[in-house]
Amino acid sequence: MKVLIVEDETKTADYLQRGLREQGYVVDVARDGVSGRHMALEYEYDVIVLDVMLPGVDGFAVLSALRERRHTPVIMLTARDRVDDRVRGLREGADDYLIKPFSFLELIARLQALTRRSRGQEAMQLRIADLHIDLLARKAWRDGQRLELTAKEFALLAALARRKGEILSKTTIAELVWDVNFDSDTNVVEVAVKRLRAKLDTPFATNLLHTVRGMGYVLEARSSVEVQV
Amino acid sequence: MNLSISQRLAAMFAITSLVLLSMAAVAMHCLLERELTRHQMNELQSRWQLHEPFIHRNNDAAYWDYVASKLDSILADHQRVRMWVLSDDERFHYGSQPDAALRATAQADGFGELLVDGRKMKSFSGEVGAHGERPAVRMMIALDSTPFAETLQTFTVGLVALMVLGAVAAAALGSYIAGIGLRPLGRLSREAQALTPNDLSRRLQIDTLPPELSQLAQAFNGALGRLESSYQHLEAFNADVAHELRTPLGNLIGQTQVTLSRERDAQELKELLHSNLEDLERLRGIVNDMLFLARADRGESAPNRVEVSLAREVQRAVEFLEFVLEEAGVQVRIEGDARASIETSLFGRAITNLLQNAVQHAPRGAEVVVDVTQQAGVIRISVRNPGPSIGQEHLARMFDRFYRVDSARSGSHENHGLGLAIVRAIATMHGGTVFADSGAQGTVIGFTVAAG
Repeated sequence: MKVLIVEDETKTADYLQRGLREQGYVVDVARDGVSGRHMALEYEYDVIVLDVMLPGVDGFAVLSALRERRHTPVIMLTARDRVDDRVRGLREGADDYLIKPFSFLELIARLQALTRRSRGQEAMQLRIADLHIDLLARKAWRDGQRLELTAKEFALLAALARRKGEILSKTTIAELVWDVNFDSDTNVVEVAVKRLRAKLDTPFATNLLHTVRGMGYVLEARSSVEVQV
Repeated sequence: MNLSISQRLAAMFAITSLVLLSMAAVAMHCLLERELTRHQMNELQSRWQLHEPFIHRNNDAAYWDYVASKLDSILADHQRVRMWVLSDDERFHYGSQPDAALRATAQADGFGELLVDGRKMKSFSGEVGAHGERPAVRMMIALDSTPFAETLQTFTVGLVALMVLGAVAAAALGSYIAGIGLRPLGRLSREAQALTPNDLSRRLQIDTLPPELSQLAQAFNGALGRLESSYQHLEAFNADVAHELRTPLGNLIGQTQVTLSRERDAQELKELLHSNLEDLERLRGIVNDMLFLARADRGESAPNRVEVSLAREVQRAVEFLEFVLEEAGVQVRIEGDARASIETSLFGRAITNLLQNAVQHAPRGAEVVVDVTQQAGVIRISVRNPGPSIGQEHLARMFDRFYRVDSARSGSHENHGLGLAIVRAIATMHGGTVFADSGAQGTVIGFTVAAG
């Protein structure tokens, strides 16, 4: 998966490059609008992360130059929380937008959503260590034992299992499980995870559902018994 | 042209008095002219009546010299009066040799005008019937009108001089009076100039002002009051923002310094980064919420509206909060419904914040009631919780940013005190407002959105 980052802020560009590389992306960085436009037009990318405020040629200009020739998916980064910028970006052909300051996990989620669209049929049976999930029948077993989950608990488990090994932020979980796309002060996700954990992990020897402090939650089999941080 | 008020008033006084005096002068001039003319006519007529019998009586040509000398002696006393008797019979002639113009005037009965020796004269002519050997003759008496014209002219010059003087006096007086009348305005202006941004509590003195100015000063004081209140709001708000940001920033700096001051193993460093991340996420939450509130402050309205059933949207929020409600042992009942054009994610956020707030204050086992009612032009969404009542002093301010009814709750990780401020912002973005009431039966907090 090849990504182009067009971003003039050095620190932002650097951490995005490093983070995305570690997520397995091939990353190119352009540090101004002119070279960004050049690279976007000359090379093949799966997705482009484009900052709006750039020196020289701004993000909108890069976008419109790109759209004349290519349909590469574009995520716009807007620093200003202004509807105008977002509406303008989407109208001029951006596929998605993020408002700074954004969380890295959020960017990963959006990138995957953009590139997943072309992914094929999803598996209906998921297996993680001794956990077995039947997405069609909406049932789950661990170590051969049926887990008695409520609808929302199952939805949470399925969301985490589909992205096994990926850290999901609370915002992403709220969006995937409850279709709620706003920030809220509630601790719904914490409570939901606590309840799922009581059924999924507590009765068993190893934990699958892990908390990553400050980031979110991940479902994966970890080789050694790890101290929860 | 930018004249001062007193200059304007002086000019207007001058113009007004000039107009009034001119009208009076024209009237007086006309009156005088008519009176003078009438006076001349009376004199001419009375002289005619005086001399006509004398001419009529004398019918003897031999006796005519006596008549002429008699007339000469009479007229000698009156330099301004001239007299002619014209006849085809040369013997019955009196007065200077007439020219054609004079003769023509004399031939016409009644009043006429003529020029004799360069003097303008008014005349009265008529016929004296034939008597004895004397045929009918034309008699004309003329009166010098120059003295009357001179009187009229002197009078006119006096009037014009009076008018000009009057206008000048009116302007001067007007300026002086305006100066006196505008004195309170000058004082007000000096007072207003003395107000500085450093002392927003000062107000203009209203008691001593005339009513016209006191209204202005009251309006000005009102504006000052609003300015002071929003200034204080802003100051308090800035202080709150700084305070809210300071705590996580202090944590970040402090714990990072502590950790880095010694060699730490990877686990400890990881622990630090996680902790930092939590604080940073909290900062991000505050910044994002502040940006959101700024959007509403700028008067932005909800952009992506769709018409939906509000009870259905409340139901969605209740489903989202299901686990939290269960944990708290609180039931939610939804009453009523209405359709409105709203941005669902904003509406959901507002109702979630209100429900979250209700759950925090409702006792275990309580029932929270969400009521959706349509009223004139607006739809009210109210959330009632049977928790302990809240004092009036809190109700008014609970929608303020960072305001916490329960100050012990401050510093809580979950809630940075913007929840209800966001509800208000969302209401504003939907053309509505917020309300709160508290009593023995519980606390009702809610908001309205514009109907339709």
